[in-house]
Amino acid sequence: MIEVRHLKKSYGNKEALKGIDFRVEAGEVFGLLGPNGAGKTTTIKILTGQIQPSSGEARVLGKDAMKQKEEIKLHMGIVPEKANLYERLTVRQNLELFCRLYGCDLGQVDSYLEKVHLMNEKNSPVKKLSKGMKQRVLLIRSMLHQPKLLFLDEPTSGLDPASAEQIHKLLLELNQKGMTILLTSHNMEEVEKLCDRVAFLDEGTIKAMGTIEELKLKYASRKMRVWIEGENGIEEKLMDMDGRESAACMEEWIRQGKLRSIHSCEPTLADIFVKITGREIV
Amino acid sequence: MSSSLGRIKALLIKELQDIRTNFNVLVMYVIPIFMTALYKSFIPQMPEGFALGFGVLFLVVMVGMYVPSMIIAEEKEKKTLEVLILSPAKPVEVFIGKGLLTFLSMMAAFIVLLVISGNYFKHFDVLLSATVITSMFSILVGMMVGLLAQNQMSTGIVGLPLYLLFMMVPLFGAMNVGVMKAIGRVLPTYYYFDMIRLAFDEGKGIFDMIAHLGILVFSVGIAFLILLLIYKKKRLE
Repeated sequence: MIEVRHLKKSYGNKEALKGIDFRVEAGEVFGLLGPNGAGKTTTIKILTGQIQPSSGEARVLGKDAMKQKEEIKLHMGIVPEKANLYERLTVRQNLELFCRLYGCDLGQVDSYLEKVHLMNEKNSPVKKLSKGMKQRVLLIRSMLHQPKLLFLDEPTSGLDPASAEQIHKLLLELNQKGMTILLTSHNMEEVEKLCDRVAFLDEGTIKAMGTIEELKLKYASRKMRVWIEGENGIEEKLMDMDGRESAACMEEWIRQGKLRSIHSCEPTLADIFVKITGREIV
Repeated sequence: MSSSLGRIKALLIKELQDIRTNFNVLVMYVIPIFMTALYKSFIPQMPEGFALGFGVLFLVVMVGMYVPSMIIAEEKEKKTLEVLILSPAKPVEVFIGKGLLTFLSMMAAFIVLLVISGNYFKHFDVLLSATVITSMFSILVGMMVGLLAQNQMSTGIVGLPLYLLFMMVPLFGAMNVGVMKAIGRVLPTYYYFDMIRLAFDEGKGIFDMIAHLGILVFSVGIAFLILLLIYKKKRLE
């Protein structure tokens, strides 16, 4: 669905992308993670034909992202980080404009609005909507022409948990119906919830890539945290996963019925990012 | 799949829905009508056609350039132009769709100016053909200003020198101010104003002004090419 090879992009002397490679398979939800300025939005802009790479290759739906962008854009949807809707127009007028531009049925607008609980706002000017509502309108707008591929740039940035949850639910539904999704985010919980695979992007290079499980196992400390019934109540212990000593202790606690809980101490994606890059995602 | 005509219609409908509450733009249409009515009522000794000439020149230059510059700069500022670029609409369709409403509104204001100036369609063939072509030129220049300006506020900085050049030089040129006349010869609006003067002062008809019309049509073509070049450069920034 997406293939990126040795992709580079410079703005003057500043290298935004220093030669990145990745693939996104059909039906996958792929996350590009990284702090602000890592190159996430630049990558999306190249893939959607908005900017030209300095070198390298970007193919989307089997086509060259720059040379064949007119063919690609009919099959892709984009949700930008900042709501770019016509503020004086109503929700309905905004969506109908895009139905007309893509030549799709105006009748579907209501059913989409119903789905994201925005029917009551359909005749409200967009400038009167909350950020979460605008984000839902953007998502509908990107889906009206039923694209095969959806790009989302920080889809829930700055949203309240309830609005973010609604967006997540909708994205998972779309993915279950076969839509391929590429999203950028620096919200690790969101990524863990939505993505099949992720790539950590930092200072224009991909530092690590894989499924969330693969990354967690790769960067795990091989320690476990156990809670046992001790003489003075519940005690917490940090133990190595390997070795005879840990095995003997565990066996003993299980036999005595003292074991209450075990946690495998897998790192979070944020921990892995810190481990790889030496700094936090912000 | 939408047709080219369908996409232009979509943009025209959007502009029509949008302009109703866009008071910054609406007020611009009132100014030439108000000024022409003022000249006509309070300075009756003014030469025939001057009040109308001033009104249509203001309409064609100031409204024709200011309105599209604001519309395009707003699209840029609010990042909605990005959405249009990423839609199936081609650049030519975007410009026609966005400029069409300005053009039609200008033609409606032109008819109002003819009526209130008391002209009642005298030299209508000259006035109409010259106004139609020069309006197209102005709309294209206004769109260039909109693309070059960072935001709506800065359209004034980019556009005002141009608006003044295209409007004041023909006015002074018509008063036979030497330098202005010389500069005016490279500006399409000079030929526009000159057509009005020739019609009213010398009673010349449309067939006496083919060269003037040719220059105006040529200017539209050049302006359109420059607009597309700026658009192509800007969309890849």
